[in-house]
Amino acid sequence: MSIAAAVLETLRAEAANHGGARVARAGLRIGELSGVAPESLRFCLETLVAGSDLDPLAFDFEICPWTRRCHACAAVFRVVEWNTACSACGSLDTEAAGGDQMELMYLELEEP
Amino acid sequence: MRVPLERKVLNENDRIAATLRERFKSHGVFCLNLISSPGSGKTSLLERTLEGFGPERRVAVLTGDIQTDNDARRLAHFGFPVRQITTGGACHLDARMVERALEGWPVEDLEILFLENVGNLVCPTSYDLGEEARAVLLSVTEGEDKPLKYPATFHHADLMVLNKIDLLPYVPFNAEVAKENARRVQPGIEILDVSCTTGEGLDRWRAWLDGHL
Repeated sequence: MSIAAAVLETLRAEAANHGGARVARAGLRIGELSGVAPESLRFCLETLVAGSDLDPLAFDFEICPWTRRCHACAAVFRVVEWNTACSACGSLDTEAAGGDQMELMYLELEEP
Repeated sequence: MRVPLERKVLNENDRIAATLRERFKSHGVFCLNLISSPGSGKTSLLERTLEGFGPERRVAVLTGDIQTDNDARRLAHFGFPVRQITTGGACHLDARMVERALEGWPVEDLEILFLENVGNLVCPTSYDLGEEARAVLLSVTEGEDKPLKYPATFHHADLMVLNKIDLLPYVPFNAEVAKENARRVQPGIEILDVSCTTGEGLDRWRAWLDGHL
């Protein structure tokens, strides 16, 4: 819920920066390893938006997979079933490459 | 009109955390964020840790709970500075709470600052507190699949403390499987076995702490 509140706080600040324009839509990028369940976040956002100054407001979600980069062959691969070994060459020497994103990508303002 | 933002949702938290990290770093304070489920033994581990420190050690604790200052009272017995953060509902600590709780405290004189997070394996993961290292506690009365169920938490941890190992003979917990699960999620994770009841493994834990000073 506090993450949803942080999203809305940013949207309000951005709207104010654009002369108080109304925000119609916001795009969020959420990684599989971010600790946030997109559906829960959507629920919290919708709950906070309902009846507020931001209502109505639509959200787009982009879900980012959990990925690692292989030090041996440089492949970036998706981690499936918690398997952090490289899917291309099998090396165990890999590092985190993605999946912990929790970002606001964009917002759409209504033309006045 | 579409306005690109490309900004972290917890931008403000991360900004404060970066300030805290810089402050800790410039004064040589090792700040450790302790995360676990409720009842895994965060407060017990801190009790045993403080108990083992001589009065010359410059150590302090911030302890977070949704309600009560019970943990701060438990920890205050050892003579080191302890402050309770009562979140009043929030299920995690955030950087602003830590910044506020540190107001007027001689943080610059410390060698170790422990941040005992609210008991929760999900939400604290997302909030950077400016710590230098993050430790997650797992106790043998929980499931050995917790690292797989809460991969984000274990993925972001530098250390896993496996607590209550004195109970291993009495519970169906496979410590090797638990460790393997933690390493699947975070191949670089360090792991320490401890029992806050018998004291087993606490020497290695203290050595781990001292290794970061």
